[in-house]
Amino acid sequence: MADLNTEEGITRRSFLRATTAAAAGAAALTSALAPLRNIGDFPSVEEFIQKHYTELTPAQLTTVLGRIENEVQKEYGIRPHVRALKPMNGVEFVYALNLSRCCGCRKCVHACVAENNQSRSPEVQYIRVLKMPNDGRFDLESGDHNYNPESVPVPGHFFMPIQCHHCKNPPCVKVCPVKATWQEPDGITVIDYDWCIGCRYCEAACPYFARRFNFTEPSIPKEKINPNMSYLGNRPRHKGVMEKCHFCVQRTRAGQYPACLEACPTGSRKFGNILDPDSEVSYILKNKRVMILKEELGTLPRFFYYFDV
Amino acid sequence: MSDNSKTTWMFGILTCVFICLTIYFVRSPILYPHVYQKPVVPSARLAGIPSGTIRISAAQLIKSGADVSGLDCYACHDPKHPPVIKFALDGQVILPKEHTDLIYSMRNCEECHSQEKPQKIQYNPDGSTNIPKAHQDLMQMAHGKAVKNNNCYNCHNENQLNTLHSSTGKKLNFDQATQLCAGCHGTIYEDWLAGSHGRTEGYWDHKLGPARKQECSSCHDPHAPSFTGIIPMPGPHLLHPEDAPDTHNSTP
Repeated sequence: MADLNTEEGITRRSFLRATTAAAAGAAALTSALAPLRNIGDFPSVEEFIQKHYTELTPAQLTTVLGRIENEVQKEYGIRPHVRALKPMNGVEFVYALNLSRCCGCRKCVHACVAENNQSRSPEVQYIRVLKMPNDGRFDLESGDHNYNPESVPVPGHFFMPIQCHHCKNPPCVKVCPVKATWQEPDGITVIDYDWCIGCRYCEAACPYFARRFNFTEPSIPKEKINPNMSYLGNRPRHKGVMEKCHFCVQRTRAGQYPACLEACPTGSRKFGNILDPDSEVSYILKNKRVMILKEELGTLPRFFYYFDV
Repeated sequence: MSDNSKTTWMFGILTCVFICLTIYFVRSPILYPHVYQKPVVPSARLAGIPSGTIRISAAQLIKSGADVSGLDCYACHDPKHPPVIKFALDGQVILPKEHTDLIYSMRNCEECHSQEKPQKIQYNPDGSTNIPKAHQDLMQMAHGKAVKNNNCYNCHNENQLNTLHSSTGKKLNFDQATQLCAGCHGTIYEDWLAGSHGRTEGYWDHKLGPARKQECSSCHDPHAPSFTGIIPMPGPHLLHPEDAPDTHNSTP
């Protein structure tokens, strides 16, 4: 018996040594790989093999919308209605904002947050309102985001909301390395949140500081979810993707006004189809004094500021 | 046997008496006072509280078929004797107290506040309604900045108080008040017709649904048309709140 073991080369000692070494190695490997178990935000298989939005067939799109509805229901306990509304023929959206009337009450900001399922913590807001001194210089550097007076408007100042300008020559679209953002035929610059890699080039490229990045997983109270969702619009986003104003694509492509417009108590915000000569925005661009923010950059925005006088 | 039945009877009677006494003690307000209940505060008439930026105009009130009994001028006034306007020393019209109520009765909170989530009304210690800060406006006659349009009969028809008259003397009903405003504010009226002035709601695409437009006096009080300030909603959270500039007291 002892001879046989000697011939085979396995002694009790060598067996124990090898087993101990193997066990220690396995334990070390397991502990080294342990942090991987904490990564929870892997995309699902369906999301991983999903194609770009513009390449989806109608059947695939239905599957994708169903998957998003299931995901939202699982996370927020509410069954949303996720649609992928197509741009209408003969429609190009234009926004006009009356700087003579805007009183800086920030109602548009909060209507936008509620409509578009934006993260409440950390706070993501698409509209910024600047309090600007009315000294004739129009210096954006002297604008103040954090004004908090007893009541608005404030004498000697005017207020200027800034959001995505939906440029006809958009720098953000040019810099995107993966084509996760593009311009739709109706003029809305959209983002495919499932395609975005979160490189933030677009945020750097935008001269209007209109794009927002989800640095952490967004948190929205369950009771505040807006169930009227669209794929390119207000469906809940994940950590690590960009988002921005999309002219309330879930409303405007169904013929409605954007949420910020309806919330404005002064009626400063006007929206419509520039290709329709009878629309409100056509009248404004024809008859009013219109200003384009940072016109010299050649971005050709579809967002105009106008004045009454 | 007879003793037993007597005892049973006695017990039965005693039980009845005991139950009756219990009921009496429990019911008696002296021996067993009821729990103090708060007096019921009568629900305030929402229509009596001044609204924020959107009011319902007399025009919309009449068109909607609502109660317009407050607009019946001749319930109080004698049709044959038009009321005389009284002026204060500084030339301002003295508004009769009854008419401040009448102005308020044209307001409708539901234009802004949704019916599903009723606003909680706060009461002062003396029982009067605590009017929110955003609503404490328009107890005045303030039409016009440089040139005051403060004569009632510039717009109201002296001889027929339930109508209005334009600057050209054309008689207008209360639901045509927008035409009256157009008489002086023609450029704004044109903007309003084209849609560049005033609030709109609903559909930009009129094929898919209606756009709801507000009439002049739905947002502006005709007696004090310019807006008073409103409280701004909270600004963005600050990354470093301790570094925040004190915008409250800073002077530009």
